[in-house]
Amino acid sequence: MKPHPQQARWRHYLGLYREFINNCVAEAMSYRLHFALMIVMDLIFYLSLLGAVDFLFAHLERIGPWGRDQFMFFMGFLIAVEHLHMTFISENFWIFSSDIRLGKLDFTLLKPVNGIFVCFFRFMRPATLINGLVPWGLLIYYGLRLELGALQWILLFPLVLLALALLTSVEIVLSMSMFWIIESMGLNFLRMQLQKVARWPDFVYHYYARKLFSYAIPVLMVGSAPVKVLFNLEHWPELLKLLLILIACWALIAYLWHKGLNAYESASS
Amino acid sequence: MRQSIPRTQLHREKDKWLATFRINWSKQMAYKLNFLLLVLGPILVFFFIRYNLWSSIYQLQGVTEIQGYNRGQMLSYQAWVMIVALLAMGYSGMNLAEEIRLGRISAYLLYPFGFWPFHTASFLAFQWLQFFISFLTLSALLLRGWVLWPTPQGLFHGLLFSLCVSFFWYQANFLIGILAFWLEETWILRVMLITVAQFFSGSLIPLELFPSWLVDILQYLPFPYLTYVPVKIFMGTYTGSMPLAYSAILIWSLILSAVVYGVWRRGLRNYTAAGM
Repeated sequence: MKPHPQQARWRHYLGLYREFINNCVAEAMSYRLHFALMIVMDLIFYLSLLGAVDFLFAHLERIGPWGRDQFMFFMGFLIAVEHLHMTFISENFWIFSSDIRLGKLDFTLLKPVNGIFVCFFRFMRPATLINGLVPWGLLIYYGLRLELGALQWILLFPLVLLALALLTSVEIVLSMSMFWIIESMGLNFLRMQLQKVARWPDFVYHYYARKLFSYAIPVLMVGSAPVKVLFNLEHWPELLKLLLILIACWALIAYLWHKGLNAYESASS
Repeated sequence: MRQSIPRTQLHREKDKWLATFRINWSKQMAYKLNFLLLVLGPILVFFFIRYNLWSSIYQLQGVTEIQGYNRGQMLSYQAWVMIVALLAMGYSGMNLAEEIRLGRISAYLLYPFGFWPFHTASFLAFQWLQFFISFLTLSALLLRGWVLWPTPQGLFHGLLFSLCVSFFWYQANFLIGILAFWLEETWILRVMLITVAQFFSGSLIPLELFPSWLVDILQYLPFPYLTYVPVKIFMGTYTGSMPLAYSAILIWSLILSAVVYGVWRRGLRNYTAAGM
């Protein structure tokens, strides 16, 4: 029996993604020191982030509505999102930037698959996958201390994935400007700075900053919206907002991708 | 006649350094938006986060003082952290690893202007730009009243100390860059250094908020001298010994320079001049 075309398309892309993973694992294993350094780098990053919060709470009872445990859970959630982002997505933005500058994007565009899929999901850093134990350990430890209910535990992983989807989508929208900027190392730095903005809950920001980073460049929705829902299910409209923003991002990506391709000058040709 | 030869050599050297200055400025300015995002973006965003975080901590909790810092002092501390970062934290040497890996340094080995002088001249050219940007930023902060006017002595020592820190950062970045003689990628080491330095130098949280046992250990490391000490000097609240602070940053810079020299010499023996 012939599979449904949509089903065949999914299978085709899953097969491709499996090949991407195999290639990246093989490549990562050939540079063992690099592999080990990546793990150490991530651990240092996690420790610095958690250390900052810990030192703050040595002098404070609460920051806004949250105490130490809520803040640590939030950090765990953000680290879990960034860990997946670092492992599966991050590398592609740097390569996308250099591909546009050097005209190597031509080879991606010639392939009979969706260009966005190849550009943003082709490369990954398997080394950092091991570090997933840290954020998930934190989430479980502080989740238990906060006495999360069964539904919250069930929602935890899907919400991490949803947050990852939003972060990735916002960054892809930003990266579309690389078609016009050409030298985009600075833009990649900006992207990383926006991740730093997302690492603190929305209530620490002033009114206008909160609105700007919740709706115009919605990086604050990445952590704050899902964690608020996990702490209190009555905040479910936050998730609705997050989904609407996600859909808006995808529409914007589709539009900007086509505009960008028209502006692409193919440096090597 | 005897004297004219060294003078000509001196002129030639000066011309090479000035030419490198000019090339570097044009390279930086070729992509202005990229320059702004690369140099200003991270520092401004970092300041924006800390400003919001500390404002909200004081406002939301209604606290008036944390470890001797009231709201105004804490925000002033964070503003000076931004100025020190602008003055001292360059990104020179970011492309060193690529130059070594792709064999591009072969050219420097043949040219009558070495690899280290070329990069040092580029660093100094970049430092001028940083200095100019810092001056504009500091003027804006002073006009808005976010920082108090430093005393002439505080300003002089703050600037001088920041320049020493800048040289330290340059040497540290150079060292990481030339490790490309052995490593495939060196950006990971740079990220590690920045993460560790930002945390332990008091960039986000002043050292007064650190546990005392950690502060005791940090005194023997270069980190507090990279941000906390110059910020305190600018603010006029540094209580330590100034000669000791200068000695510490200079000794760490000298140690780094010696390591750079040793690593460069050993690295050259390893160099395969890929693509030649």
